[in-house]
Amino acid sequence: MSELALDVQGVTKRFGGLVAVNEVSLQVRPKEIFSVIGPNGAGKTTFFNLLTGIYRPDSGRVVFFGQDITGRSPDWVARNGIGRTFQNIRLFKAMTVLENVLVGHHTHTHQSYFDVLLHTPRFHASEKKARARAMELLAYMNLDRRAEELASALSYGEQRRLEIARALALEPRLLFLDEPAAGMNEQETEDLKTRVRRLRDELGLTIVLIEHDMAMVMSISDRIAVLEYGSKIAEGLPHEVRSDPRVIEAYLGKGAAGQAGGTHAPA
Amino acid sequence: MNGYVFPFTLAFTALSVVGALLRPASDLVNLALLASVALVSLGRMSTAWRSGLLAVLALTLTLLLRLNPGDKLAFYGLLGVLIACFLLPNLSTLVRVALGAAILFISVPIAGLTNSFLFELGIQIGIFAALALGLNVVVGQAGLLDLGFAAFFAIGAYTWGIFGSPQAAQFIEGFPPGGLPGNYLYLFMALAIITAAITGVLIGLPALRLRGDYLAIVTLGLGEVVRVFANNLDKPLNITNGPQGITPVNRPEVGFLTQFLQAIGAEQVYGKPIDSYITYAFFFYLLVLLVIGVVILVNIRLANSRFGRAWVAIREDEIAAKAMGIPLLPTKLLAFATGAAFSGIMGAIFAAKQTFVSPESFTLQASINILAFVILGGMGSIGGAVVGAAAVTVLNIGLLKDFSDLLNTWRQTGVTILGYNMANLPPQLNPAKYERLVFGVILILMMIFRPEGLIPEQRHRVEMQEARQEAKEGGGK
Ligand SMILES: Nc1ncnc2c1ncn2[C@@H]1O[C@H](COP(=O)(O)OP(=O)(O)O)[C@@H](O)[C@H]1O
Ligand SMILES: [Mg+2]
Repeated sequence: MSELALDVQGVTKRFGGLVAVNEVSLQVRPKEIFSVIGPNGAGKTTFFNLLTGIYRPDSGRVVFFGQDITGRSPDWVARNGIGRTFQNIRLFKAMTVLENVLVGHHTHTHQSYFDVLLHTPRFHASEKKARARAMELLAYMNLDRRAEELASALSYGEQRRLEIARALALEPRLLFLDEPAAGMNEQETEDLKTRVRRLRDELGLTIVLIEHDMAMVMSISDRIAVLEYGSKIAEGLPHEVRSDPRVIEAYLGKGAAGQAGGTHAPA
Repeated sequence: MNGYVFPFTLAFTALSVVGALLRPASDLVNLALLASVALVSLGRMSTAWRSGLLAVLALTLTLLLRLNPGDKLAFYGLLGVLIACFLLPNLSTLVRVALGAAILFISVPIAGLTNSFLFELGIQIGIFAALALGLNVVVGQAGLLDLGFAAFFAIGAYTWGIFGSPQAAQFIEGFPPGGLPGNYLYLFMALAIITAAITGVLIGLPALRLRGDYLAIVTLGLGEVVRVFANNLDKPLNITNGPQGITPVNRPEVGFLTQFLQAIGAEQVYGKPIDSYITYAFFFYLLVLLVIGVVILVNIRLANSRFGRAWVAIREDEIAAKAMGIPLLPTKLLAFATGAAFSGIMGAIFAAKQTFVSPESFTLQASINILAFVILGGMGSIGGAVVGAAAVTVLNIGLLKDFSDLLNTWRQTGVTILGYNMANLPPQLNPAKYERLVFGVILILMMIFRPEGLIPEQRHRVEMQEARQEAKEGGGK
């Protein structure tokens, strides 16, 4: 019996009267690519924020590789194996591409305050190691040639890739990607798909992603969960979810369920 | 057009240097030299020419200072050369170090021996620069607006002030009646780092849970609390001697320096036998220089470490920083304690230099001044903090004072300018009275025309541009 990567048990989050996430449970297995889809405002981002410690669930539990992480702070969660990207890109724009990744590597850059003041061998070694690792990750995301440029100089698609590289610098076991393909053209999306697969196949990461690009979601995901008005309305393999009448209704509106079978649900 | 700049600079510089040799006492020559410094620093020319001309100018200015004790303009010129070789890109490290060291260890001492006010000016700039560098870590790098920064300077000053004076014997039985001997200052400089850093943590723990405006107000309040403590801790137990302050604070022994000055024949420059007054001026100049060197080194090293990067990350986006595993409170506390330590050590030196500590020196006004150095120089920039402190100090205790002196002599001698007899000038028009006003106007002009500061940090420049962009696009948001 292998333990679950992520075991979410009935988490709920209210904003005043609005129930943004309502009793959502789901299980993600190690090395799975798991997608969360749903219309705008369904509560997907809020759900991620509950799992990464930005919000504390009003009720429910989050278990990560057997450890209860409910209510832990975002930095604790990040230090303990969960990396994430943001829907509205949150890079450190005035820093260089390389520095962004170095910030992600903060916890693994083993230099004490006094190492820094005295420039001990440990300082030089850790700095060198951090830079080498950061360059490696940038190469992995095909950004190594832009390392010295400011993050704000990157194109939209590149900024999204840099966010992934920065999250990878945490050396996480699980990665949350919030709409990683948003704003990318077709070719970039295709490229992203291969890279996400490689993250799982080569680095052994578990990946949970929110995405509106249905073609991408359907082709890349092992399993999919669908949120609507904060509740999980469906879960299963891509072809199961695609033909689920409730999902089609949620996407196309009431009355559309009869014409099920269309492969392209709108975003 | 560009082709003429270099020949013109060359000719102008040559002329002013020749002028200086022919008419060393002329103000016009001094101004021409100042203009040359600016031209050589900013004009387009090869690095070799620039280095050479800067060296020639430094030499000429030193000569002038040696010849005319009262020549402050030449001193400002020398400061300009110093700043240029500190900040200009492309100069070779050898030139930087050689020229900088020559100015700091030869030119300024010669000038200071001729006119000890220049030592005083150098010491003040050094002390303020260290404070600015400390606050630069907190506000500039970590983005935490601290309006009570003078409190840490006070803690450092009282740390030595209390134990290096008769004060400690007032409340500790059996303490040496005159306080600890002056040589203990070196130990207490280290202790002041610790006490100030601890105070930083104590103030930071409650304050740093807040952000932005709230943080600013709370630090302002807590900074005042430190001053009010100093003001009132004279009873029931007399620890700080209250508003009267503590005096005399002991200074280290400097016999070795007196001997050194005698040995190198400094008497000839000083014009009379080396006394303790000038020795102490020289001593504190060297001590401040040493400490500022260390402070700059520490600042640079921190900025290029995981701590410096974490501070900037927090300044730019706290949520993203947290998602990168950076714990906010400890990282902010580290910035607070580091900044506090810088001003703590200078506080101890300040107490010894003045031989007097009182709450007067650590008012809100002082905190705001330090903040102004940082903003004027360029937030987050190490060079900016130093240049900001130098510029404001020169303005405050140099230029404005000189200008009012000049007006006073005119008034007394009754010079007529544009048909107006200066003897009728009302005393209210004394520029020293408008110091704050002039300062304020300069700050406002800076914020309008160069909001990123004199020597902006690369990152801040980007942030400023982004903010402006957003303001343009966002409008009502
Ligand atoms: N911090 C917040 N305060 C109040 N309401 C919020 C907050 N964050 C999200 N919401 C609301 O919660 C709902 C779900 O939002 P979100 O999780 O961003 O949806 P999605 O990512 O699926 O588009 C929306 O109605 C949104 O307005
Ligand atoms: Mg969202």
